[in-house]
Amino acid sequence: MLLQTKHLSKQFNGIYALKDINFSLDSGEVHGLVGENGAGKSTLIKILTGVYTPDEGELLWNGQPVLNNDPIKSRKTGISVIHQERTLVPTFDGVENAYLGLPYPTKGGRIDWKEMRRRVSETASEYGIDIDLNKTAAEMSPPQRTCLEIVRAMMNECSLLILDEPTASLTDKESELLFDIIRRLKQKGTSILYVTHRMDEIFRLTDRISIFKNGEMVERIETGLTDRNSLIAKMTDNWTAESIVRTKEPGKSLLKAEHIRSRDGIVKDACLEVHAGEILGLFGLGGSGRTELLECIYGYRPMAGGTITVADRQIPDMTPEKAIHMGLALICEDRRGKGLIGNLSVRENVILNCLDDYSGNGIVSEEKEKNAVREMVGQLQIKLAGIEQRIIELSGGNQQKAVFAKTLMTHPVIFLCDEPTQGVDVKTRAEIHRLLREEADKGCGIIFVSSDLKEVMEIADRIRIISAGRTGDLLENNGITSRQVLSCCYAM
Amino acid sequence: MNKLKKVLQAYGTILALIMIVIVFSILRPKSFFTLRNFINISRQISLMVIISIGATLVMSINEFDLSIGSMASLGGVISALMAVAGVPLSLCFICPVLISLIIGWVNGWIVARFSVLSFITTLGMRTVLSGVIYRLTGGATVFQDIPKGYSWLGTFRIGQIPLLSVIMVVFVILFDYVMRHTVLGRRLYAIGGNEETAKISGIRVPFYKNIAFALCAMLSCITGMLIASRVGSANTTAGEGYFLSSYAAVFIGCTVSKKGIPNVIGTLVGCAILGILTNGLTMLQMPTYMQDIITGAIIIIAVIIQKIGKR
Repeated sequence: MLLQTKHLSKQFNGIYALKDINFSLDSGEVHGLVGENGAGKSTLIKILTGVYTPDEGELLWNGQPVLNNDPIKSRKTGISVIHQERTLVPTFDGVENAYLGLPYPTKGGRIDWKEMRRRVSETASEYGIDIDLNKTAAEMSPPQRTCLEIVRAMMNECSLLILDEPTASLTDKESELLFDIIRRLKQKGTSILYVTHRMDEIFRLTDRISIFKNGEMVERIETGLTDRNSLIAKMTDNWTAESIVRTKEPGKSLLKAEHIRSRDGIVKDACLEVHAGEILGLFGLGGSGRTELLECIYGYRPMAGGTITVADRQIPDMTPEKAIHMGLALICEDRRGKGLIGNLSVRENVILNCLDDYSGNGIVSEEKEKNAVREMVGQLQIKLAGIEQRIIELSGGNQQKAVFAKTLMTHPVIFLCDEPTQGVDVKTRAEIHRLLREEADKGCGIIFVSSDLKEVMEIADRIRIISAGRTGDLLENNGITSRQVLSCCYAM
Repeated sequence: MNKLKKVLQAYGTILALIMIVIVFSILRPKSFFTLRNFINISRQISLMVIISIGATLVMSINEFDLSIGSMASLGGVISALMAVAGVPLSLCFICPVLISLIIGWVNGWIVARFSVLSFITTLGMRTVLSGVIYRLTGGATVFQDIPKGYSWLGTFRIGQIPLLSVIMVVFVILFDYVMRHTVLGRRLYAIGGNEETAKISGIRVPFYKNIAFALCAMLSCITGMLIASRVGSANTTAGEGYFLSSYAAVFIGCTVSKKGIPNVIGTLVGCAILGILTNGLTMLQMPTYMQDIITGAIIIIAVIIQKIGKR
């Protein structure tokens, strides 16, 4: 046995991210790691690679306990990880990147570039990797960079290679190349931990599968002894939402987005429609393009194609300014990065979207502004020392309420909510849900994005599936189970 | 201790200003602490205050403009050359302003449209402008045949009070109002605080960046023309001396605001600290190198004190 964990646990703020994990992995096997968002896969990887230190339990490497508390040690032990975010130096060429963190060979005090090149290309050809080592990382394509990272890992005499969603940015053809390399690595005795949401890859590549759910390891199973449906069943609680009592049937169409493509290629072909009085859930696994789709609709992310129709009027070249004017509101997933301006006051933040309504001839009428902000703050019960307090000093939940206050100031009719309850406490979460339902009952349309399937099923009337930049089935949230929703995701 | 921290954070910089005044008043009661000297100081800092307001505007959107010094020199040169050529004096002071607005707009456009670091854009612009100045003057100071009336703006006094000081006060009041109470000012601060949030809030970020750079260039140009008017000649590098100290003033000024952001009143305080130091240390017959050492140290200490207060 190459790697074993014994009773591994990790908590964040009193909540178990991993609980009592007894995971093991043999030499030369390809091991699949599957689970929903938040099941604990990333936490496990971070513990194995020394980013996190476990609270309890120990790690055995070849039967010996190891203290694996920093990434450099972990690499020396022989564990390498390849993330979606690549860790190459863009301006270095292939050879130098492969040598990152390794001692350079020298000859008479000078770096022996020839020897370096020889060793790197030797390693590359050993695994059938064919890339131009003279190119800088910036000049390489995504699959070439993945290959280069693999070469680098193997230069380190890596015996466990962790691949975290390695095919997310690759085309089918490029993925095939990667699979070939994986097979070759396996033949040479390297173990691979393969983490993905894509079921067909799991069944094609792996020998065994570990299934995680809510921070616990549910089962380890031979790949040959299971199939897609039973695997999905084990990943979910098979949870059914209470049927939502709809007060009104959805009314007229408020927003229609057709065949949206983003310029960066993340959104490939997405369609959705939201009606008055409706909460539309948009559910997709990590990297499915849900955030990017909302940003395209709002005019924040450049589009390569598709049409957006608001209230039966087609809007070419949407911009955030037009969007606000047309009654759209975007609640961003990245609250600090895109939602608020930390060093400004609550008042200045809340008024931001509608400054023109509270000014004449370019001069802000401050009494009107203060009253309006105070009223909105009271209505949403935001806890603060005063509206002049800097917004960054508020708690996470109150910050998020302030973001809602900001968007409500423009009286939007279409809410695009991206993970609106992320990082807020339970009470605020319920308040946000209630607020959105009230707005829907008033005749607004709401798109609700969350990576937490349970939450989507709690609040949405209907659920649109999105996967790899394409939208799929539209499900009525009426007695459906989480397993059915996930099956739709994995089927795409 | 906590209270001390709060006081330091809120009023530290202003306390420092008062302390400097007290120290000089004790050391040189007869010459420093007089109405005449304070009027004198207000004139000495007036030019730096005006150009520093420009720097405050671009820093409020979290950008830099390194071309303010050469912009000022260019403004002075163009205006003086026009005066020499016999153009009516009012036009001599209006045309350079229009030219500077265009140059600033170009700076902003390059920064916003191509996402080029403003540091590099304006560094390039600085060199371009220096080249233009050389082409116009051949490197020589413009002083011959400047009409007498040209010096009026820079030297006129209303009773005891220099016109330059009055112009400074007008600009301070105007731009303080703009930054705090107008839509323009609030949007500039929003962009400086978080550009992405500003975009999502429907603010046309490129447009407002253009405006900030244009106004900054305009204020630099006005400063340059006033320098030329004051000394009755246009030196090809007259503005360069103001470049670094104006940013020092803005940085000191940030510490006056509770939010730590550039602001016009703070910039005025910053200029006053630097100006009074120069004035007082000269009276103490301190050699120039000592003045540099003390001024530099005080800038650093001001910022450190504010950082400590923030923790």
